[in-house]
Amino acid sequence: MGAASVADNLALLDRNAPLVESARARHARVARLAEAFGLELGGPDDRVDTLPVGTRQRIEIAGALAGEPDVLILDEPTAVLSPDETAALFAALRKQADAGAAIVLITHRLAEVFSGADRLTLLARGKTVKQCLISETTAAEIGGLLIAGSGAEETEKEEREEEKIFLEGEEGREPFEGRRGDARRPGATRPSKNAARSAAGVAANNLEVRNFRAAGTPPKQELLSFSLSPGELLVLLAIDGNGADAIASAVAGLTPFTGEVRVGRAALPSSGDPLAFRAAGGAFVPADRREEGLVLDLDLAENLALPDPPGRFFLDRAAMQTHALERIVAFAVRAPSPSTRAGALSGGNQQKLVLARELARSPRLVVAVHPTRGLDLAASAAVRARLAEACAAGASVLVVTSDPDEAFDYRGGVRVVTRGALSGEVAGGTPPAALGRLMAGLGA
Amino acid sequence: MSGFLAITVLLAAPLLLAAAGELLLERAGSIQIGVEGTMLLGAFAAFAASQRGAGPHGALAAAVLTGVLAGGAFALFAVAGRADPVLVGTAWNLVGYGATAFGYRLLAGATGSVLEIATLTPVLLGMPAAVLFAFLAPILLELFLARTRPGLAVTAAGENPLALDALGGSVVRVRSAASLAAGALAGAGGAVLVLTVSPTFVEGVTAGRGFLALALVVFARWKPLRLIPGALLIGGATALAYRLQAGGSTAIPYAVFLALPGILALAALAVARGRGGAPKALGTPAP
Amino acid sequence: MSVPRRVLVPAAAAAAALATLASLAVLADASPLEALRALALGSLGSRAAIGETLLRSTGIVLTAAGACLALRAGVLNIGLEGQFLAGAAAAAAVGPALAGMPLVARAAILLAAALAGALWVLPAAVLAAKRNVPEVLSTILLNLIAATAAGGLVRGALRDPAGDYPQSRALPDAVRLEPLFSGGRATAAVLVALLAVAVLAVLIAATPLGLKLRAVGLAPAAARAIGLADGRLKVLAFAGSGALAGLAGGLEVLGVTGRLYDPFAAGVGYTGLAAALLGQAQPVASAFAGLFFAALGAGSSAMQRDTGVPAALAALVPGVLVLAVLAARARAGRSGS
Repeated sequence: MGAASVADNLALLDRNAPLVESARARHARVARLAEAFGLELGGPDDRVDTLPVGTRQRIEIAGALAGEPDVLILDEPTAVLSPDETAALFAALRKQADAGAAIVLITHRLAEVFSGADRLTLLARGKTVKQCLISETTAAEIGGLLIAGSGAEETEKEEREEEKIFLEGEEGREPFEGRRGDARRPGATRPSKNAARSAAGVAANNLEVRNFRAAGTPPKQELLSFSLSPGELLVLLAIDGNGADAIASAVAGLTPFTGEVRVGRAALPSSGDPLAFRAAGGAFVPADRREEGLVLDLDLAENLALPDPPGRFFLDRAAMQTHALERIVAFAVRAPSPSTRAGALSGGNQQKLVLARELARSPRLVVAVHPTRGLDLAASAAVRARLAEACAAGASVLVVTSDPDEAFDYRGGVRVVTRGALSGEVAGGTPPAALGRLMAGLGA
Repeated sequence: MSGFLAITVLLAAPLLLAAAGELLLERAGSIQIGVEGTMLLGAFAAFAASQRGAGPHGALAAAVLTGVLAGGAFALFAVAGRADPVLVGTAWNLVGYGATAFGYRLLAGATGSVLEIATLTPVLLGMPAAVLFAFLAPILLELFLARTRPGLAVTAAGENPLALDALGGSVVRVRSAASLAAGALAGAGGAVLVLTVSPTFVEGVTAGRGFLALALVVFARWKPLRLIPGALLIGGATALAYRLQAGGSTAIPYAVFLALPGILALAALAVARGRGGAPKALGTPAP
Repeated sequence: MSVPRRVLVPAAAAAAALATLASLAVLADASPLEALRALALGSLGSRAAIGETLLRSTGIVLTAAGACLALRAGVLNIGLEGQFLAGAAAAAAVGPALAGMPLVARAAILLAAALAGALWVLPAAVLAAKRNVPEVLSTILLNLIAATAAGGLVRGALRDPAGDYPQSRALPDAVRLEPLFSGGRATAAVLVALLAVAVLAVLIAATPLGLKLRAVGLAPAAARAIGLADGRLKVLAFAGSGALAGLAGGLEVLGVTGRLYDPFAAGVGYTGLAAALLGQAQPVASAFAGLFFAALGAGSSAMQRDTGVPAALAALVPGVLVLAVLAARARAGRSGS
């Protein structure tokens, strides 16, 4: 509860709290929990929404621990914690476990697994890949298995489960050793960026980002700067929650940022203005096509006509139909007719519809967030082909994805985003296992 | 208590009761703009019970019971049924107005003469117990919200219903309970109106006080204790307006005082940052 | 057994209306059939009756149209009542001062009324756009202020010095609308209302602006991402609905009362909203619902006279209908159709 104090929030989270409680007792609880678990919880009367995300996370954890549960499940608890806080958390968890509690920790971070857990179960794409004691394995081996199974067929689903690694861990014994996994694929051909650059000479960049930080990133995070020239495609590869989505959203003008973002010659206002982004020649393909990409209750022709439907006084439905038919054919959207309700289309076809709309105006910059999420192989390939076409036509494309398998299929540069920080460009031949380690925050 | 202060207190009491109930409901994340309808129903129930021979306290009890039923109906449609609370509230005002006008017509007959009913007896400071309770209610509400576990659940239901749900609480149950309580208080407010200030019933006797209660909640920034000075301010402004009107002075000053509550509440909404203290999940359906 | 929405909702509405009518009639010691007959005759049974129905329908139909516009854009304008009063006050203020050609005078009055209505909603629109203030609250507060302001004007700035009843100066007879047909009180105001409904229906369904408004209302989360100026569009919807409600107020003064009194609005704004809810925010369907409510109002006084069933039934039925429809929609929604 953002508007409530730390003490009140902990009182709510503590299952053992009495029916009526004085302010003093609530304050005492805050102090007691802070001490017992070695966690910094802020002042008891501080409003929670004024506290940094890390503190809020700790409060939630303290609240969960306060009830002295027998079973505790923690889902990515350290996403926003610093290394010190993580260590403190694991010490607290260890104490609880030693006292008899059963703790299940879900995490992507290998280092954590080996610092405090007893057993480990590794899941990839919903299947158990490995189950063993921590003592029986090494981080290197797990890292290699993280991205295993890239040949498995994906079935088309509306919401694809994020690839999760389900781990229970114990005190690590061997320090992590870097080890190159088997090369699973030949090096991808070098991206077309260089070719486009030399051809365009000293063309103006389509996207310039300088001293940038998206809203919501911790202030300690370093400022980012990067740029995209015409015909260049950049993939931001990251596990959800590491800030790649935030970067894309800010570049597209949907969320505020600090620093400078230029699309073409136009500087975007830092408070966030999607109309300015579009006026400068930007196009946006959101991660959630159903909620943010389309108006499901309108038909295909109407969706394709937005945001600028044709017609001066009356809607020019004939023009809309023609335009719609043309785009539907060009993008191979499978639908009975342009008058079909957008909500009736399958996920893959909806995504094609979004692309058809966004790419219709020959944008200068395309920002696409998780554009192939939930799509089958054929639809994914089609999406990537469209984006490549846009590049060939001179647009710059910024893609956000969390799938290391497809990162190089875009035939562009790949950079990994961890905790809001941008890595250097990853070499074309890097195997998925190494990519996985990079994404998980371990050096390659 | 001196004349002007007494009138102010009496005018403030129904408002305070209804506003306290509405504040509780809004803190829980639901909004009932049909408070006016419930107040009317409570007022009419008190009137009808009086006509049937119940004493003032019986009348008050009838009003509270009616209010609870009204709160239950709202909970059924808007909370459990997840219909848009604004639409339910709008309909409820129409129902309240129509039903009470209809009922009054039946009871009073075609004569249209004014029927007097017995008033509540003064207990302390010249005020009936119900009026005194009206000033106690916000204090009790503050203690409830700030110091008890169910109170925390109410705040959670209004700020972050998903979190309450994840903790195993039932947002529907919390909001429904709040609706019953809010209905009881609004019904009581209507009753206090006809059992003290104007000891009779006429069509639309509440004259927008239910909406004033909504304004009062906004003006108090959803903090119970602030309801009291706000209600006294409104009561005083209304009393002043009546006095000026009776004195026959020019209309402009008198209407301004009547408009003051609405203007102040609007100003409070305008200057406050971030929704003016409204619960974050106000008006959203239960998960 | 899941019943399709198309059938369940109107069936529920009809059932609720009949049940309410029947039970209220019985409560009043009258025969439901007699009551129904009196209602029908009183609303449609003679030229005078039809005239009465049409007269009452202007206000309800126009405010319903305003509600439709707002609802389609996803805006909760509960302030139609206040905007109606603002329009009426503007008409009452401007009207008496105008001489000259009646047509021009009427146009000026109605323009002033519509403008007043749009301006009255503006604070709520701005607060919603700039500060995320829920418009439910701000528009209700504006209703409160409007009601007291109208009362004050009628006793002060606009007061008619002749006579001791608080009311504004009368509009010149030449400016006021004449009855459309003899024997009834209905004026050309009805035509204005129907025209407005037609224009709105076309706007929503067949213009680029209408498509954009609908998109904002149907998919608020997508609107910004798609590139629609949702802030501006919502303000436009606010202003349009306010203007329609203001126009209704102006027509009421121009065509029915000739002046402003206190109290004046008698729940027109809320009844119009109820009609829009019944009509699913479709302008034409809502207009029919509004006509139905107007017929109820017209017929109810005859019903009261002839059978003794209190006329307040007409105020009760819209509320009951909306509740029934909301319940039916929730039910139909859950059974998946």
